[in-house]
Amino acid sequence: MNNYQCFVRLNKPSTISTPVQHIKTTRGNTVTREEILSKKPLHVLEKIRENLERLNEKMEVMIELQKHGHKDVQPLNDAPLDVMTLLSMPDHLRKTAMTICRCGRATAAEVAEQTSRARAVESAYLNQLVIMGYLKKERKGRKAYFYADRDSQR
Amino acid sequence: MSKIVAVHSYKGGTGKTLLAVNLAATFAKDGKKVCLFDLDFRAPSLFAILKVNNAEFWLNDYLNGKCDINKVLIDLSSRLEGNGNFFAALANPTTEAIREMSAKDRKWEMRALGRLLSLRNTLLNDREFDYLVFDTSPGLQYSSINAIVTADFVVVATTGDRSDVDGTRRMLRELYNLFEKKTGLVMNKVLDPTSKSKRDEMDKRVKNVYQVPMLGLVPCFCEVLRAEGNLIFVQDKPNHPFTKILDEMAKKIENNEVN
Repeated sequence: MNNYQCFVRLNKPSTISTPVQHIKTTRGNTVTREEILSKKPLHVLEKIRENLERLNEKMEVMIELQKHGHKDVQPLNDAPLDVMTLLSMPDHLRKTAMTICRCGRATAAEVAEQTSRARAVESAYLNQLVIMGYLKKERKGRKAYFYADRDSQR
Repeated sequence: MSKIVAVHSYKGGTGKTLLAVNLAATFAKDGKKVCLFDLDFRAPSLFAILKVNNAEFWLNDYLNGKCDINKVLIDLSSRLEGNGNFFAALANPTTEAIREMSAKDRKWEMRALGRLLSLRNTLLNDREFDYLVFDTSPGLQYSSINAIVTADFVVVATTGDRSDVDGTRRMLRELYNLFEKKTGLVMNKVLDPTSKSKRDEMDKRVKNVYQVPMLGLVPCFCEVLRAEGNLIFVQDKPNHPFTKILDEMAKKIENNEVN
């Protein structure tokens, strides 16, 4: 079930009357409809928002990929983000990657603050760098942190 | 303000080490807390110039993740007059260490960059150093580019030699610009005695050819050659013109006046 379907179902009055029915969320855990509607409406909205944000990020990446063509984006596994790699990157990505190198770990908003570009733009570039294998991404609550994984690469 | 200063050049023999040592010593003479780093792992030289034979840990060990940076720092403050603090972090000069460093792979270099970048926290923030001065290997290679990426300001040493001019210009355009580094050029070993008009002319030429600001112009001093690297020049010859030039450079960097 995608986010949109989930959203529509929650808002459809006809489905409320259905007795105990299990819904599988995008994260794979099962909850009853009753739980969703009565106990934690705020929590559910929060989840929906989170999912929408993820969708948004994915779309931003897709837009960026189209804008710059696919030629400079080859998904790699754990490519080292060394200085020679930084040098060979297109300018727009180098700026973002350099900021992560300096900060160690940062959100798109924090990177945007340093580069004076829009958060959505940085988010797209960061996600692109993740796809390319240069950065790792970790979620904590509603925030997504990006970092160059220096230690696991032995 | 520039806290981490790297001294770099395209060709060897342009006077990087001389500039790095004396720039660091000038900062220390001004009462600053300074650490000089030997990042020229292919041809380490600071151990000889600073006459340190008993280092227990080298910068190599820190970059290899074998020890803390504090174990590497050697306090040489007693060598200098005044109340500044002068530390050094040295590269291991043994052939084995040089061989080992030149065989490192990209992943190691990436971690080394991370360790250099973290000096900002450990030394500038925690131990309250005022300046870190990096002496580097010439040309485009990992250890130098790691140093340049880490630095706030890069001093580029160059001579008027034909073999150096084109390469330096290309390096400035294709390396420094890409990393958006603040740069100052030092014309070293200038032969003509420099009158004011001559200086201005040189200044203009540097801006036209290299398109970066000039940090300083160092005439060819026989006394510097004669010292054979046996002394920290600005310390031992406080009234020499070379010392005065270094004082000016340090002041320019300190006051952010290079432009």
